[in-house]
Amino acid sequence: MVTTPLLSLEGVGKSFPNGTVALRGARLNVLPGSVHGLVGANGAGKSTMIKVIAGAHAPTAGTVRWKGEQVVWRTPGAARDAGVATIMQHVPLAPTLTVLENVFLGSRGPWRLPRARRTEFARLLERVNYHIDPDAEVMDLAIGERQMVAILQALATGAELVVMDEPTASLAEGERRVVFDVVKRLSAQGTAFLYVSHFLDEVLALTDRVTVLRDGTVVEEGETASYDEDRLIQAIVGRDLLAVERRAAPPAEATGPVLLTVRDLCSPAGVRDVSFEVRAGEVVGFAGLLGSGRSEILHAVYGADARARGEVLVDGAAVRRTPRAAVAAGMALVPEDRNAQGIVGTFPIWKNISLPDLPSLASGRALPRERAETERAERVIDDLGIVCPGPEAMVTELSGGNAQKVVFGKWLHGGTRVFMLDEPTAGVDVGAKADILELVRRFAAQGGAVLVVSSEFEEILAVATRVFVVREGRIVAERPAHETSEEELLMLANGFGEGGAQGAA
Amino acid sequence: MPPETPTTGAPAPGAPAGAPAGRRSRLTAALRPGNAGVVYALVLIVAVLTLLSAQLGRPSYLSATNITNILDQSSLVAILAVFTTVVLISGNFDLSVASVAAFSAATVLSLVSALGLPLAMAIALGAGLVCGVVNGVIVQRVGINAFIVTLGTMTAVRGLVLIVTDGRTITAKDPEAQQALIALQAGYWTIPHILAVAGVVALIVGGVLALLARRSGGSPVRGAVVAAAGVVLVALSPVLGFELRLSKPTYYLLAIVTITWAVLRYTVIGRRLYAVGSNAEAARLSGINVDRYKIGAFVLNGLGSGFVGVLFAAKLLAINPTGLQGTELTVLAAAILGGTSLFGGLGSVLKSVVGALILFTLDNGFNVLNLGANYQGVIVGTVVIVAAAIYTIAGRQRQVRRVRESQAQPERTAPEPAKTQRQGALR
Repeated sequence: MVTTPLLSLEGVGKSFPNGTVALRGARLNVLPGSVHGLVGANGAGKSTMIKVIAGAHAPTAGTVRWKGEQVVWRTPGAARDAGVATIMQHVPLAPTLTVLENVFLGSRGPWRLPRARRTEFARLLERVNYHIDPDAEVMDLAIGERQMVAILQALATGAELVVMDEPTASLAEGERRVVFDVVKRLSAQGTAFLYVSHFLDEVLALTDRVTVLRDGTVVEEGETASYDEDRLIQAIVGRDLLAVERRAAPPAEATGPVLLTVRDLCSPAGVRDVSFEVRAGEVVGFAGLLGSGRSEILHAVYGADARARGEVLVDGAAVRRTPRAAVAAGMALVPEDRNAQGIVGTFPIWKNISLPDLPSLASGRALPRERAETERAERVIDDLGIVCPGPEAMVTELSGGNAQKVVFGKWLHGGTRVFMLDEPTAGVDVGAKADILELVRRFAAQGGAVLVVSSEFEEILAVATRVFVVREGRIVAERPAHETSEEELLMLANGFGEGGAQGAA
Repeated sequence: MPPETPTTGAPAPGAPAGAPAGRRSRLTAALRPGNAGVVYALVLIVAVLTLLSAQLGRPSYLSATNITNILDQSSLVAILAVFTTVVLISGNFDLSVASVAAFSAATVLSLVSALGLPLAMAIALGAGLVCGVVNGVIVQRVGINAFIVTLGTMTAVRGLVLIVTDGRTITAKDPEAQQALIALQAGYWTIPHILAVAGVVALIVGGVLALLARRSGGSPVRGAVVAAAGVVLVALSPVLGFELRLSKPTYYLLAIVTITWAVLRYTVIGRRLYAVGSNAEAARLSGINVDRYKIGAFVLNGLGSGFVGVLFAAKLLAINPTGLQGTELTVLAAAILGGTSLFGGLGSVLKSVVGALILFTLDNGFNVLNLGANYQGVIVGTVVIVAAAIYTIAGRQRQVRRVRESQAQPERTAPEPAKTQRQGALR
């Protein structure tokens, strides 16, 4: 290629004062108007690279060139002024301000809302072919809309390169499409994108070139067209995985006894007349779009939703509608947002793991035996292959996948029989994802019942024996996993084909 | 009983080294300035005051009388600080303690002549308890921020004090009632041969520890060390003599802080309280009744405030309508000095007591050195902010260190665990 790269990194290294080496001799070339994918496992150095590009970290070695000239960005402001906008995973918007104010948050000038902004805003919307009310307050927006506001914000600064860190991690299928369309449209207009994602299909579909990071170094770089998913996974993980096991999950004719019975579950949070049964050894998937009520169903079954009404029976015995009773009955919920709902950040791993089952690890059910707790934690670390210095480590220091395994581990040895997993693999890298899915299968094989909610329908198909399609708080369809497809589930979840036109052929 | 084979490392090979190392690092961690800083600060302040008072030719600062005095003076605030720390750990906030204590004092003083001390005291404690229930229920069930709720109850309960006292200072006039109140609070209890007593206690504790360790298959070294220390203390006792003479409120404080500390440190309740304060949602989904713990902390705080109110009434035999006003801030300052987080989940009642001791040592120092109270506010305020700054900075450094430690190690585990599971769900 003769074109000068818009941004190029050569031999960039980043080591921290404490001796951690996050990047080693990394290189990257983003061409103008291209969409460049950046992939790698958790902890491979993607975030550090983004931060170097955004000016949040100064590299300790190597050079950064912008339009061919060597630059040193010491602050995010410097990078932004040069034309690099970074959209972080957790979009830092001001929730109490309007869309318009957020979009122009970074712009200078003494007045809060000059009239000219509105026309500028209208032009921006036209550019991306999207519509949103400029006067809506950001806190009222759905996550997908917030993502769009962040993109608009990036464009408003006149960015020539937009860095997106996991932009679709919490988006539903439809919202994802919107983001895709915008990225494609803008790159056609000349804006370059650096696209960081765990979703390899997105990277394959959207990007022109791709760079793979592993352990802080660039292991591969090339035209996206020359990759397929298997090759990409291989590059990311650095080991040869066996042929993709899209195991049309064993058509387990559920023969086990009914373990969980749910009858007429309703909740103002958006659960309507949900009834189902799950047998021992079954993995049941809940497929639905974001906002369909799939998470709400889990919370209602678990008793975490105090307003939910209905009957939940485990092994034929009614369970009172509180998480406490649910835990006592052998149910476990692995929540969607592990930091906010799953882990106690001030506790080390061992205290987190023992938390739900503390009384049985305590003398007289009252005085915790720290030795027993530590031993259980060590066992869990071993069982799940949690990468950590030991049970004394704080969970907050672990990578996403390992923290998620800790949240699993809490329930592993406490006599849990009904596992409810809400997006168990969100924000988790490829290797850990496989481990977690394997864990789910193993648990079911041991006679447990598992309920899985996921936005990734293929993940559901890979792990579940039966699939419930959730829409508007109801279960609108039920399919054996080996008789359905991602496409069919998507149709059903979107409200098509309910009349049986699609037919589970 | 056959000695059970220790099963130390059976479940997790490669881990057995983890436990002792962890324990050792726990001890060193506890001694770090970021953790034990408040104790070092107290020692430093006492040392400075001792030197200064010696320099100025004043009576020895470290005299038994003076120390006993400081302990006595700080005991009420320290008791409040203990319970406030419990509320802070639970992730809430209580500004109403001083008002509740004043209300309890007014209640006991206005009833003691008519009803006798036991009943009056029970009613006063009940009043404190009700205040705690009101705080807790409004905060947890209605879901209003604790700061706002207790700001309201602080004002409202102070209003109740005005109503009960009718805006005047009230006293317990009945001599019998006065005697009963005095007996509750005034005077000293003396423990003779404190070294011998401490030694015997250490012996017993050491024995129990060793037994427990044996039962759970651990090494009895710790227990043996404690027991040996006990023997040494008993042996030294005839030589050194030493009796412990402290005021009654000081003993109340010692009992309260010991029990509270032990409950927080060693029981399921304590562990869950920290979990609830640190991440209420995670605790709830782990099957913990969060409301019960949070409301319980408020109720305990109300009860404790009621008790302190009774002691306060017994001390002065009178209360004026503005009595104890502003004490809630001293109490919070003590807890903050002790390193309690205002965001919940972190804190130690022992350190809060040390925090209270610092405040009263400064107070006392100003008196002993005759420095005039004008400067006191500036100094105390500065001390609180400096303490908070030290905690924050030390916390940050600890985080950096931890990250370094945890990243120095993963090398050994960096390759993914050998799960050959293949991955069907990438999209």
